[in-house]
Amino acid sequence: MLQMRNVAKRYGATVALENVNLDVKAGEVMALLGENGAGKSTLVKILAGLEQPDSGAIAIGGKPHNIGSPAQARAAGISYVAQELSIVGTLSVAENVFLGDQTVGLLRSPSSLARRAKPFLARIGLGDIDPSLPAEAFSVAERQLMEIARLLSREARIAILDEPTAALSEVEIDRVKTAVRTLAEEGCAIIYVTHRLGEVFELSHRVTIIRNGHSFAPVATSSLQVDGLIEMMLGRRLEQMFPPRAPSVGDKLLVVEDCLCQGLSSPVSFILRKGEMLGLAGQVGSGATAILKVLAGLTPLYRGSITLDGRPFTPRVIRDSIKMGVAYCSDDRKRDGVFAVRNLVENLSAPVIDQVSRFGLMNRRAETTHTQAVAQQFNIDINGLGRLAGNLSGGNQQKVALGKWIGISPSLLIVEEPTRGVDVGARAEIYRHLRAQTARGLAILFASSDTHEVLGLADTIGTFFQGEMVQIGSADAMTAEIITRDVTHPAVAA
Amino acid sequence: MTSIAIARKSIGRRTWRFASLAAVATIVIIAVVAGLTTPAFLTVGNGLVIIRAASMTGIVAIGMSYVTLSGNLFALSASALGALLAVIFALVTAQTDLPAGIAVVLVGAVLAGVLQGVAVNLTGNPIIATLAFGAVFRGLASVLSGNGVLRIHNTAAAWIGTARPLGVPTQSWTFVFLAAVSWLVIRKARLGRQIILSGANREAAVASGLRVNIVTCLALVMLSVGVAIVAIFTVAQFSEARSNLFSGYDFDYIAAVLVGGIALRGGQGTPLQAALGAVLIALLENFMLLNNVSGGLLMTVVGTVVVGAISVFHLLQGKNR
Ligand SMILES: Nc1ncnc2c1ncn2[C@@H]1O[C@H](COP(=O)(O)OP(=O)(O)OP(=O)(O)O)[C@@H](O)[C@H]1O
Ligand SMILES: [Mg+2]
Repeated sequence: MLQMRNVAKRYGATVALENVNLDVKAGEVMALLGENGAGKSTLVKILAGLEQPDSGAIAIGGKPHNIGSPAQARAAGISYVAQELSIVGTLSVAENVFLGDQTVGLLRSPSSLARRAKPFLARIGLGDIDPSLPAEAFSVAERQLMEIARLLSREARIAILDEPTAALSEVEIDRVKTAVRTLAEEGCAIIYVTHRLGEVFELSHRVTIIRNGHSFAPVATSSLQVDGLIEMMLGRRLEQMFPPRAPSVGDKLLVVEDCLCQGLSSPVSFILRKGEMLGLAGQVGSGATAILKVLAGLTPLYRGSITLDGRPFTPRVIRDSIKMGVAYCSDDRKRDGVFAVRNLVENLSAPVIDQVSRFGLMNRRAETTHTQAVAQQFNIDINGLGRLAGNLSGGNQQKVALGKWIGISPSLLIVEEPTRGVDVGARAEIYRHLRAQTARGLAILFASSDTHEVLGLADTIGTFFQGEMVQIGSADAMTAEIITRDVTHPAVAA
Repeated sequence: MTSIAIARKSIGRRTWRFASLAAVATIVIIAVVAGLTTPAFLTVGNGLVIIRAASMTGIVAIGMSYVTLSGNLFALSASALGALLAVIFALVTAQTDLPAGIAVVLVGAVLAGVLQGVAVNLTGNPIIATLAFGAVFRGLASVLSGNGVLRIHNTAAAWIGTARPLGVPTQSWTFVFLAAVSWLVIRKARLGRQIILSGANREAAVASGLRVNIVTCLALVMLSVGVAIVAIFTVAQFSEARSNLFSGYDFDYIAAVLVGGIALRGGQGTPLQAALGAVLIALLENFMLLNNVSGGLLMTVVGTVVVGAISVFHLLQGKNR
């Protein structure tokens, strides 16, 4: 169905792809794997007409094809879900579903557009939402699903999904998987980029790995083992994904009592100790992230009390929490995590401008020292600190968005999706670094849609379902099954 | 299978350096062409005219660039504020003395900047907010001046307006000085960094704990101070002030910023580019005036240059998003 031969692409001095081949058959799901910055997105952007290769050839259905623009890609039957969200917040959900679709006239009435969007949204589990609402009213995960609804509406021969599940939790991932399987059964050729290796085994027929700008010959998924796959991706063995849990934790740091806020239907209480990692698991809209937003100063507390280190803690704006030593990293790095048009030094020093300046002047040396230290802790190439953040691969942007907060030496770090889009190797690194920070007394409160991440990383786990905390307890007593059950049908447990 | 043509090279972050180079190159080209074709262009007298004009536009454009860089597009009130401050300067100087006039105008400028900043933050729309303020300023100027010409007789002021230390007008010394300072502010000062980050991504700036609202106010204050300086120079040079001073100059200020290649979205570029843009536009306008090009055609040409510059920068930028 699709063949790419000897594709090469460089950005200035950076070689993104040196020599890459890709073959995808009709009805097949081809997993495209590789480390952060391996060039996966670049490769699929070439197919989507968003980038032009420096050399190489593309053939579709045996015939050579030149894909000069997104419109030509669409005409060739290629549809594409980008790694970074491309939902336009001010447009309605339905308009987003049909965005860029010339066959749907712009003059169509909103109601008929909504009606036409419904079935596609329903296929991806968004059947309950009102398609005429503006898209910005929805969470990152829901917007991600809208992207997939857009893909479904295109009826393509070749479908490309670039990390479609990075921001999703299990239940939504299942919907995506079902949608992808159906597409494949209908004869569509599918290229599926992901860092979640579980999906690779469940979904894909074959795997193509890119490393250092070169592709390996495709391998049948059934002949692969997880360890072997990781070794092929990283070029080395991964000794240990998750660091050992904290042997002991310190004094109480954060005490949340009977707190009610937007997104919660019943109050939550919990205690977070110094050196402890508390992981919250829950689907979209379950309220797992609700209290995080209050602690960050983004949404108000309706009821209840919060103390930090024994003192009342009621931030009204983000600045308040930062001043109290609380760092918050959201799950939408494109929106508020990185300054895409500025370099990494400026990105990493943004929260500490006051510390790295004196008498109103920036202290370059202090800034460099600071950013290099942060970069080292988060495996960011310190020789590349002059690069623009927007030119980094998605996973590397995530490291920047998260890493800059270590720089303020917080006492509490709040993270939504700590490793969204980060490759396995780098993820293990980030986990190790976060653990190293907690060993020094940092407390971490994170929400993650990845059950394994919550289970592997946290000392204490809280599960959420429909605005309520189902249970909270030591991670030792939890299993993946319990978490999955809690966040889907806790009633069964009761 | 067919080979796909070699793609256009990605320009990357060199775009902005390229923008400055392009501006300098254009300036040289215009100067050479003008020098060869228009004898009057190369005279000392005309040189002074150009330098003065460029300096006055440039000082405001430097201020304007802070507003643009901070992510607030443009202030459309600069010319009106200039008229108001000129009128105030003339009134106070005539009543008391020069230092008092300068002091009052500077205080007024800071006040105007803060007020506009607050309005921009409240409305979230710099264009509308400053447009409204422009009307207020122009109205106040005409009320205060009684729609007449205010004259001052002050030798110190006249010196400021017309002196040429080392053969270069005071205006131009100030322009060069402010351009250097502006570069330092953006590159070295904390405020400059805050301006750049606020413009690069407002949400991320807020999330990083920056006080974006205050940064907006300060950017507008810096613009207002630039406007005040130009107002003082203008009144000092001609020894008079009118409420219709600087009418229609807003376009020149904005054009200077755009032709200099400062990103409209903010967060990329330096005030020096606006300064270069001002020189370029002053040259172009002078060249056409000497060749008796009509006012209408002049506007058309300058407008076309602006559109062309923005389009080129936009294309370059699209390549390295
Ligand atoms: N516009 C650009 N300008 C310069 N370099 C770029 C640009 N886009 C990508 N790169 C570089 O090309 C390389 C490949 O990036 P790409 O986004 O394809 O990686 P990826 O495999 O998708 O990684 P991830 O898993 O993190 O999403 C990286 O080194 C990246 O920094
Ligand atoms: Mg990618």
